[in-house]
Amino acid sequence: MVNKTIRVATDVGGTFTDLVAFETEDGNPVPRIITAKSDTTPPNFEEGVLNVLIKGGVDPASVDFLAHGTTVVINALTERKGVKVGLITTEGFRDTLEIARGNRPDFFNLHYEKPKPFVPRYLRREIPGRMSYKGEELRALDLSGLPAILDDFKADGVEAIAISFLHSYADPSHEQAALAEVRRLWPEVSAVASHQITREWREYERTNTAVLSAYVQPIAERYLSRLAGGLKEKGFTGSPYIMQSNCGVDSLETVSQIPITMVESGPASGFWGAAELGKLIGEPNVLALDIGGTTAKCSLIEDGQVKIMTDYWIERDRTTAGYPIMVPVVDLVEIGNGGGSIAWVDDFGKLHVGPQSAGAVPGPAAYGRGGTEATTTDANLWLGRINRDYFCGGEVEADMEATEKAIAAIGEKLGVDADEAARGIIRIANNNMVNALKLVSLNRGHDPRDFTLVAFGGGGAMHAVALAAELGVKKVVVPAAASVFSAWGMMMSDLRRDYFVTRLADLKKGAAEGIEEIFAETEARARKQFEAEGITADKVKFLRYGKFRYQNQEHTTEVLLDAGKVTDDRLSSIEAAFHETYEREYTYRLDAPVEMVGIHLVASAEVGKLTMTKREPTGTKAEVALKGSRRVDFALEGIHESAIYDGTKLEPGMTFSGPAIVEDPGTTIVIHPGCHVEIDGYGNIQIHLTAE
Amino acid sequence: MTNLPNDPITLEIIQNSLQAAADEMFAVMKKTAMSSIIYEVLDMGTGITDAKGALASSGAGIPAFVGVLDKAVKVIVGKFDKPGDIEPGDVFATNDPYWGGVTHLNDIIVAMPVFAGGRIIAWTANIAHNSDVGGMAPGSLTGEATEIFQEGLRLPAIKIISKGEPIRSVMEIIKTNSRMPDVLEGDVWAAIASVRIGAKRLVEIAEKYGVGTFETAMSSFMDYGEQVSLKELAKLPKGTFELSEEQDDGRVFNVKITISDTEFIVDLRDNPDQSVSPVNTSRDGVMVSAQMLFKSLTDPYSAANEGSFRPIRLLTREGSVFQAKEPAPIGFYYEIELRVYDLMWRCLAQHMPERLAAGHFASVCGTFIGGIHPDTGRQYTIIEPQLGGWGANRDRDGNSAIFCGFHGETYNCPAEINEARNGLYVDRMELNMEPGGEGKFTGGRGIVMDYRVRADNGFLTVGYTRSKFPAWSLDGGREGSPNYVKVIRKDGSEEKYSFVSELTTHTDDVIRVITGNGGGFGDPRERDPKLVAEDIRNGLITLERAKEVYGFTGSDQSQRGGTDERESAEDHVSEPGRRQRGA
Repeated sequence: MVNKTIRVATDVGGTFTDLVAFETEDGNPVPRIITAKSDTTPPNFEEGVLNVLIKGGVDPASVDFLAHGTTVVINALTERKGVKVGLITTEGFRDTLEIARGNRPDFFNLHYEKPKPFVPRYLRREIPGRMSYKGEELRALDLSGLPAILDDFKADGVEAIAISFLHSYADPSHEQAALAEVRRLWPEVSAVASHQITREWREYERTNTAVLSAYVQPIAERYLSRLAGGLKEKGFTGSPYIMQSNCGVDSLETVSQIPITMVESGPASGFWGAAELGKLIGEPNVLALDIGGTTAKCSLIEDGQVKIMTDYWIERDRTTAGYPIMVPVVDLVEIGNGGGSIAWVDDFGKLHVGPQSAGAVPGPAAYGRGGTEATTTDANLWLGRINRDYFCGGEVEADMEATEKAIAAIGEKLGVDADEAARGIIRIANNNMVNALKLVSLNRGHDPRDFTLVAFGGGGAMHAVALAAELGVKKVVVPAAASVFSAWGMMMSDLRRDYFVTRLADLKKGAAEGIEEIFAETEARARKQFEAEGITADKVKFLRYGKFRYQNQEHTTEVLLDAGKVTDDRLSSIEAAFHETYEREYTYRLDAPVEMVGIHLVASAEVGKLTMTKREPTGTKAEVALKGSRRVDFALEGIHESAIYDGTKLEPGMTFSGPAIVEDPGTTIVIHPGCHVEIDGYGNIQIHLTAE
Repeated sequence: MTNLPNDPITLEIIQNSLQAAADEMFAVMKKTAMSSIIYEVLDMGTGITDAKGALASSGAGIPAFVGVLDKAVKVIVGKFDKPGDIEPGDVFATNDPYWGGVTHLNDIIVAMPVFAGGRIIAWTANIAHNSDVGGMAPGSLTGEATEIFQEGLRLPAIKIISKGEPIRSVMEIIKTNSRMPDVLEGDVWAAIASVRIGAKRLVEIAEKYGVGTFETAMSSFMDYGEQVSLKELAKLPKGTFELSEEQDDGRVFNVKITISDTEFIVDLRDNPDQSVSPVNTSRDGVMVSAQMLFKSLTDPYSAANEGSFRPIRLLTREGSVFQAKEPAPIGFYYEIELRVYDLMWRCLAQHMPERLAAGHFASVCGTFIGGIHPDTGRQYTIIEPQLGGWGANRDRDGNSAIFCGFHGETYNCPAEINEARNGLYVDRMELNMEPGGEGKFTGGRGIVMDYRVRADNGFLTVGYTRSKFPAWSLDGGREGSPNYVKVIRKDGSEEKYSFVSELTTHTDDVIRVITGNGGGFGDPRERDPKLVAEDIRNGLITLERAKEVYGFTGSDQSQRGGTDERESAEDHVSEPGRRQRGA
């Protein structure tokens, strides 16, 4: 009997719960891929997960590795479906949550509305006691008022408590004592202290993080425990892993304690997938682009490493300040530009695309569900880039009449015909996405020409080649099964934790000891956490980053340190690495003293991820996959008769050239004239742009 | 690759790219600056102008800096008008209000010409507040100054980098004249990095689409700005509106605004002569005030450019407080700009209450604290604007604790960072509970912040307005509350200030910053009793005062009782928001 391994990724979204399973047999390099979809079942989300397993024919008892992603946290936040939170802070600082940072991003708008705090003033209470920024106690903690505060909270129906004291990043002992006392006095209440989530400074950001964490904690805990229970009941014997915002997975038990770390886990798995794919095909520098129905997201991967930051805000844009969540989140830029984004002309004859989206209902005009506004998808259909007879993988009959009407209406306002209007829509949409890609590359000091563009999601492959040409990128890779790429990423994830700790040190002789101490201390903390989950110390890998700046600056530049102890002898090479990184990003360097502000430690361990096997070229000619040809409008490059390939029939080693279209059930790949295509040993479509 | 030069889609793409470049310049400056007033407070701005200095695009930052950069570039272009005066790689600087600097000497503007196709096609420019540029007082700002010479080193629109090479002697003069030479040098270099990156992006755009198309895009963008402004201008009530207002210092300021379908005329000629104190502004400064209010009235949502401001006509009198002549000191110009801004706002608010709320605390409340940090032995200087209360709208309460109309994408300094960097403790930072701003809709709250000084022989300088006359109300609401500073000495004695320069402070003195509540809108007796009950529960007002001011007849719910708290679990947060957008 052949030995089979089944890896499953389930993903709970707002509408659907998705399943992707990879079944690998020993000796067979091609995994069997199972996908299934069922309705999301609030509030008993685990039912949807169990349903989708049944629908996909996957017996939970046979599953070897299960990764799970969910939007439950972000949805609870944006839909304001969390619980009532009481906040306990340092005396003199109950209003920090409401004062926030005082900024008015929409600065000419005199009707700006400041975001309201998640805890009203009467539920924000103070406790005497004070630490200094060095972690010294300036005034002892006085918990004598706590019982009365808790009585009030009970009477007011509080379900979760957040504790945030000044300078707890430097010494958490006051927070620890208060938390212990809350748990003693009121064991049933959900409670979290800020230091459990982050050890970085900035009291508003840390306090808001603790508050939002408390706000979703009971909901997420309930969710996760019911998920674990449901799976166990159906015979699953392993432990599910939960997708995190830092591109790793973590154990269900750990996530249950601080569930806010799931907040941006959706995009994280795709970006991790892009990093892993890059390593697999020898492209460590990747610009990753995920285009969905309403938004496009992008992120930059350098030398195989995703960039993880703690400067994450929800609901923040040019018009509103939003709310900070100081947890490790993959550095990404998201814009309101997807397949469903609506094109519109303003009062002055200017064409815009997005951020409004036609959503799933009514959807693009071509869906024939009553949508009257032209979307990016309609423009792609109109220009022949999407096959009107194979719309949505053949599942939807394209309503071309509705599409024509919608696009012609745009053209009328612009004074051009429908073709020209559709080209305009595509060019504006592409420009929006190019600017987003520039934000993660050029704006961070990276030249996009040194990167490979990996495009996924339903719409990624449709625009990728045009974007690459605009940015000077030489190669685009569309992964095999691009539409379920995020699930693949989840199965490639390691158990990973990112530790950020604020600790000031001047980078000069004698400092190494203290720097090494904070790394060692944090590594010990990480090992202990991993060991508690049965992962021995030798399995845990560390990456040490230092956060440095010139003295007096505020913002830091992160530098990866070579492995091994930090010693005084190494400080000069660390400093040199900082100068170099800094100059690349900002065009100059200074002869000023350098200081360390903190560390970023990445701890990871492999927990049964998928191993991919490369296949040899089959020798089959690409003509075998050829479906026919049609006229396709490439906007700036004109209209060309283009070869149409069936994506399901492509095999390793096949090559062909643009102009061409590859049609896959989940996505359409647009290959511009002059591009050369090669299918690699993993079934990915590699597109080489002509050298200039 | 290009098609028609006037293809509107191409022009739109270029315009978006200009915006992206201005934003990128802003991001670079923010990340590399050394003064907390730049990197944390973001007292800075970035912009792009055309070859002549007309504003094409501006980055984030503060509204009061949006209209500054173009005026500086125009002066540079006028001064360096001979062939060969301006060459590729050059960088210029000015900080002098009498040389296009608009504001005060602390704000150094750095500008770089962008060359493509053998000619200048644009300028990238940057302005930021520097912590110390010399002069008679630490931080360079003092109420004692009687001439601009006492306010710091003057850079009268000069070249600082020639063909890519820093002019070493000039750089050394700039650095040596500062009490914080390393910080100043770092900040100037951050500004240079910012304009260089912007220039690089513009060259790329121009090379890609062609210089002609690039220039067409810029001018059509300005025409678009003008169309947008004119369209909204047509919707404003027409006529001439006037207002006189007494200031805290006893001066009376007058404004006359005439609105027609095509013009927005601000007449400030009838105003006092310039002062010997640094409470004057350049004409460019009041133009910025007029531009800010005009933009807010007509089109607050799109980016501002030269065209947006074309309908404005400004009338001032040379030698007056609003068009000061050399060598009038000008350090606290921003309070004067704010006074003009607030004066115009108040003048128009009663005629267009749907567009304008009641008055806000309307002062930068610039606070300067310095001394020796006892932990490091190094000199520290805090330079910060304060948060305060905004006025009520006709349909909702005003915002609490945000920056004044002069500032925008500006951040306050976290107490945790403040304590590490500066030699003091922040004992409290909370909302101001003083009465004021009551109404059918209430003004937002100001703040109370206590700085406890940790060493002897420190200093305090402040210059607050709206200290005697607080935020004005509308339609029967009550006035807000004043902005001021209280110094509570270690022995318990108290001093109160709104303007003070270099006051000496000692260990355990508390500097208490108090900023005003915004003005109220409508008769307090018309306020929804449910909102009054909520205010009582939140401790914003006592039951007694609620009875007295609002005629409140209910009980104090903060005493807890049979109210159903559960149903209000969601009422305290705003409606479901959108997902984060990164761009």
